[in-house]
Amino acid sequence: MKTLNIKPLFIKAFGIVAATLIMASCTEKIDIELDESYTRLVVEGSITTDTTAHIIRLTRSTSYFFPEQAPGVSGAELTIDDGSNLITLSETEPGTYATPTDFHGLPGRYYTLNIKLSEPIGGYDNYTASSYMNFPAPLDSIKAVFRSEWGPDGFYEITCYVQDSSSVDFYMFNVFKNGELISDTLNKVFVTDDRFYNGNYTNGIGIGYLNQSYERQKVNPGDVLAIESARITEEYFKFVTQLQIQSGYQSPLFSGPPSNIKGNISNGGIGFFAAYPVSYTTTIAESN
Amino acid sequence: MNKTFYLLLLLLLPAFAAFADTEPETPGSKRFTISGNIRDKESGEELLGATIYVHELKTGTVTNQYGFYSLSLNPGEYKITISFIGFTPIEKLIQMRENITLNVEMAPARQQLSEVVITGERPGDNIRKPEMSVVRMDIKTINRIPALMGEVDIIKAIQLLPGVQSTSEGSSGFSVRGGSPDQNLILLDEAIVYNASHLLGFFSVFNNDAIKDVTLYKGDIPASYGGRLSSILDIRMKDGNSKKFAGAGGIGTISSRLTLEGPVIEDKTSFLLAGRRTYVDIFLPFAKNEDIRDNVLYFYDLNAKINHKINDRNRLYLSGYFGRDVFSNEFARMSLGNQTGTLRWNHLFSQKLFSNFTLIQSMYDYELGTAEGNANSFIWKSKMQNQSLKGDFTWYINPDHTLRFGVLGIRHTFDPGFARGTGSESLFTEYRLPLNYAMEYGVYINNEHKISSKVVIKYGLRLSAFQNTGVATIYNYDSDFNAIDSVLYGKGKIINTYIAPEPRIGLNYVINPASSVKASYSRTVQYVHLAQNSTAGTPLDLWFPSSPNVKPQKADQLAVGYFRNFKGNAFETSAEVYYKNMYDVIDFKDNAELLLNPKLEGELRTGKGWSYGMEIMVKKNIGKLNGWVSYTLSATRRQIEGINEGNSYRAPYEKPHNISVIINYEFSERAVLSSTWVYSTGSPVTFPTGRAVIGNVIVPIYSDRNSYRLPDYHRLDVSFTYKNKIRENRTWQGEWNFSVYNAYGRKNAWAINFQQDPVNPYVTYAEKTYLFSIIPSITYNFKF
Repeated sequence: MKTLNIKPLFIKAFGIVAATLIMASCTEKIDIELDESYTRLVVEGSITTDTTAHIIRLTRSTSYFFPEQAPGVSGAELTIDDGSNLITLSETEPGTYATPTDFHGLPGRYYTLNIKLSEPIGGYDNYTASSYMNFPAPLDSIKAVFRSEWGPDGFYEITCYVQDSSSVDFYMFNVFKNGELISDTLNKVFVTDDRFYNGNYTNGIGIGYLNQSYERQKVNPGDVLAIESARITEEYFKFVTQLQIQSGYQSPLFSGPPSNIKGNISNGGIGFFAAYPVSYTTTIAESN
Repeated sequence: MNKTFYLLLLLLLPAFAAFADTEPETPGSKRFTISGNIRDKESGEELLGATIYVHELKTGTVTNQYGFYSLSLNPGEYKITISFIGFTPIEKLIQMRENITLNVEMAPARQQLSEVVITGERPGDNIRKPEMSVVRMDIKTINRIPALMGEVDIIKAIQLLPGVQSTSEGSSGFSVRGGSPDQNLILLDEAIVYNASHLLGFFSVFNNDAIKDVTLYKGDIPASYGGRLSSILDIRMKDGNSKKFAGAGGIGTISSRLTLEGPVIEDKTSFLLAGRRTYVDIFLPFAKNEDIRDNVLYFYDLNAKINHKINDRNRLYLSGYFGRDVFSNEFARMSLGNQTGTLRWNHLFSQKLFSNFTLIQSMYDYELGTAEGNANSFIWKSKMQNQSLKGDFTWYINPDHTLRFGVLGIRHTFDPGFARGTGSESLFTEYRLPLNYAMEYGVYINNEHKISSKVVIKYGLRLSAFQNTGVATIYNYDSDFNAIDSVLYGKGKIINTYIAPEPRIGLNYVINPASSVKASYSRTVQYVHLAQNSTAGTPLDLWFPSSPNVKPQKADQLAVGYFRNFKGNAFETSAEVYYKNMYDVIDFKDNAELLLNPKLEGELRTGKGWSYGMEIMVKKNIGKLNGWVSYTLSATRRQIEGINEGNSYRAPYEKPHNISVIINYEFSERAVLSSTWVYSTGSPVTFPTGRAVIGNVIVPIYSDRNSYRLPDYHRLDVSFTYKNKIRENRTWQGEWNFSVYNAYGRKNAWAINFQQDPVNPYVTYAEKTYLFSIIPSITYNFKF
C-alpha cells in the first residue's frame, strides 16, 4: 500500500518497534550463488510537456552481480507516434536516443514508442510501448517547513497547497534545490494517489523530504526549492511504486514474495515509457 | 444437499443401532452407570484427559474437556484405576448395583521423578486412544523449555513438535503439515483468537499461569471442530482454585506477571485473574539510538474466569481474555489486540448424556495513526469479530459406543478498514471499506465404536455451511481479475451459500499393550481467509470471507501411524506418515495490494496444494533425564494459475528436514537443566537471476518463486531452574530461571537482501540480517 505515506509510515513505525525490540539485530555480508537467466531489453525514458530533447535509454539486463553499468543497446531505430506526427529519435551516445530539441508533448494524446533493434534481444527485435499524457494539475504554492523532530538533524518537508480535482488522480513529485535534481533516482521520487483527499484542498500535505543529515539535501536559508509535479497515469504510478518496493529492503515481516515489476514494454521487455505533463512551483527556504 | 442428508443418515444409523443394542433389557442384565468428575486435590481444577481403567474389562474411558467421565457397566464388582500424568494413581473397588456418582480428587505425585512410581501400571494412553496426529502438552513441560527473553510461550513450545514449523525466527506464527498460519484455528476457551501474537509476533498472547491444557490437532481432526484447514489449537484456561486462595507470578527480563485464584464459595464458586505486562519501554531511555528514547512500547494481557457449580448437574463458566499492544512515537501510534468472552453451561441430562452450551464473542482490532496537527494526520482502523452459539453433546451409550454430536452457528463481521484525517488541520476525507457479514454453521455427529478390545473405530460427519449476507457490494471480475461491474445486496439478504460435508474417520488397532497402528482420514473446509503475504506476518491482519468470487478452501488428509511404547511405557515412540491434498488454496498475485483495497478479491489467485511427510517422535516422560526428540521429513507445494507462470512452487513454509531435541535433566528436586536444540532446512526464498537498471536504481529480475533457500537454521537454548528450599509452614515457593537463547550464537539468516556498494554503485552484494545473537535472561517465579 504505497499510498500517501501509509506504507512508509507503517514501515517506519514497525521499523522502530522492530529496532527497539531487536536491539541485537545485525547484518553481515554473505556469499550466494545465483543462477542466470536470459538477457532482456530494458527501456527507460519519458516525454513531458517541456520543450527539450527527451531521452530514451536502451540497455540490456545482466546477471545480478554484474559489477558494471548496464550495457547500452546501439544501432536501434526509435520512433514516437502521437497519432498525427511521427518523431524519429537519434542516438547521441551508445544506447541513448534523443528527440529533437524542439520537441514537447501535448496533453490528451497517446504516445507510442516503436523500437526496432539491429539484432534481437530476448527473442525479439521489435518492441513497442504506449502512454497517455494527462492534462496538467499545477500546484498553487509550496512551502518548505523545517521538522526538527525528525531524524538526528531534522528534515525539510515540502508541503503543497492546491485544490484537488474530483477525479481519481496519481501524482509524481521531483525535488530540485537551486536547480539541481535531488530526487535523482527513481526510488527517491515521491508518488501518491489522491484516494484519501480526493476533491479536497490539500492544505499543506507533504510531497517532498530533504534529510538534513545528507550534504546534498542540506538546505540553507535563501536556497530555491522547486517541485516538479506531474499528473501520471495509474499504470506508471504502479510501476514506480513496485520499483520502490522491489528495490528496497525485504524482510519476512513486511514484504510479500519478491515479484517482477510490471512495465508497459511489449514482448517481455523491462521498464517503462512514460508520458506526463509537468509544472513547476518554487519557494525560498527561510531560516529554521 | 440431498446426497449429504443421506450420507448423514447413513452415518447416524450405526449409532442408533448401537443405542438400540443397549435398550432390550432382559432382567438382570441392565447396565449401571458410574460417572463423575476427576479433580486435582490441591487446586480443585478439573483434570482433562484423565484415564479411568477397568481391569476386568481391559477397557476404560477418559475425562472430557470439563473433567467429566461416564462409564456404563454390567452389574458386578470391578477394580478401577484412575490415572493422570503427574498425579498418584488411585485404585478403587466399585460395586455396580446401581448408578453411581464418583468424584475423585487426585494428589499430585511429589515423587514423580524417582523411578519408584513407574512400576505402577502406566496407562499407555497413546497406544489405546483412537486418535492420532494430536499432541497434548502440559504446562509443566512448557514451563521448562528455555525461552526467548525468558518469556515461556505455548506457541514456541508447539513449534518443537513434529509436523509443526515456525514461520520465521522468533515468530509465534506456525505452520502445521505445510499449511499456512491462517489455516490454524486457535481457540482460547473455545473463542477464536484471530491473532495470537504480541510485539510483531515475538511473543504469544497466552499467559502460561492462566492456562490449564493445550491440545494441538494436526490431522484426524475431531468432527466437533471445523473452520480451518490445517490444525486446531485448543487452549483451555484454568478454572481457578476452588480449595484455597493461591497465587503465582514471575518477574522477568521484559515482563512481569501475577495470577490470583481462589474460592468465592468453597467447592462451589471460584475465580481466576491473571495479568501480564511488559516493560521493554523502561529500557528505551538507555537506547543508543536517540530516536527511540521517547517511544512507548508495551503489551499487556488480562485473563479472567469465574465458575459456579449450581449443583451436580449444572455448572457455569464465564471467562474472558483482553490483551493489547501499544506503541507510539513522535510520528506514529499503533494499538492492537484481541478480546474474547466465553459463557459456558455444562448440563448433565443424565449420567450418560453430558452437554455443554457455549456463547462466545471474540474480536481483533487494530489502529494505526500519525501524530495529530499535520495536513496528513490520519488514523486507520480495522476490526474483525464473531459471535458464536454452540451446543455440544456427549452420549456415553455404553462402553463400546460414545456418540458426540452438536451444532454451531457463527456470525462473522469484518470491518476491513476505515481511514480518516485526525486533528483540525488534516485534509483527509473519510475512507471506508464496506463491512462484510457472513454466517457460518456446523452440525456434526461422531461415534467412537469399540469393536473389540483391539479395534476401535471412529466415524463421523461434519456438515458445514457458509452464507454471505447483505449489506454488500459484490464485484464481478473478468478473466484478468479486473472488476467489471458490481451488484449491491440489501440488508440481511443472503447472497451466496456454500455447503460442504466433512467426513472424519479414524481406526485404531491395538497390536499388544505396547503397540498399535492407527489410520485416519479427515476432510476440512475453511471459509474465512487471511490476506497476508509476508511470511512472518504483521499485526495488520485482514480476514475476508469466502464469497461468490472466493471458493472455500478444502483439504483431504490421510494419515497412518505406528505407536510403540518401551520399558513399561517409559518411552513413547511414534511414527506417522501423511498425505494432504488442498483445493482452492489462496495465494496472492505479484505486487498484490491487500490493505484498504475494496477490490481485494481481484488480487487473489487460487489453485491446488499438496503436502506429504513423515514424523517421528521419541519421548521419555519420566526419570531424571526426560524430554523428546522429533524429526519431520516433509514437502509442500502449490500450483496456482497466475503465480510462478502456472508452475508448481514450494510453499513458503516448506522445510524438508526439521529436528527438535528437548532434554531435561533433574539434578535434584530443586535443580533442573533444560536444553533445546532445533535444526531445520532454510526457508524457501526467491532470489534474483538478473538485474535491470531503471531510473538509476538496480531492479532485480526474478525467475522461479521460492527456488532458493536461506542457509540452514539451527540453535541451542539452555535454561537452568533452581527452586528455593521448600519450608514447612510456608506456602511461598520461589524459583530462579536462568536461560540463554541461541547459546552458541549462530547467526541465523532472517532475511537476505542485496545491497549496492557505497563506493561503486554498480557492485552489488548479498547481505543477511540476523536477529538474535546470544540472549541471556533471568526470571524469578513464585507460587503461594
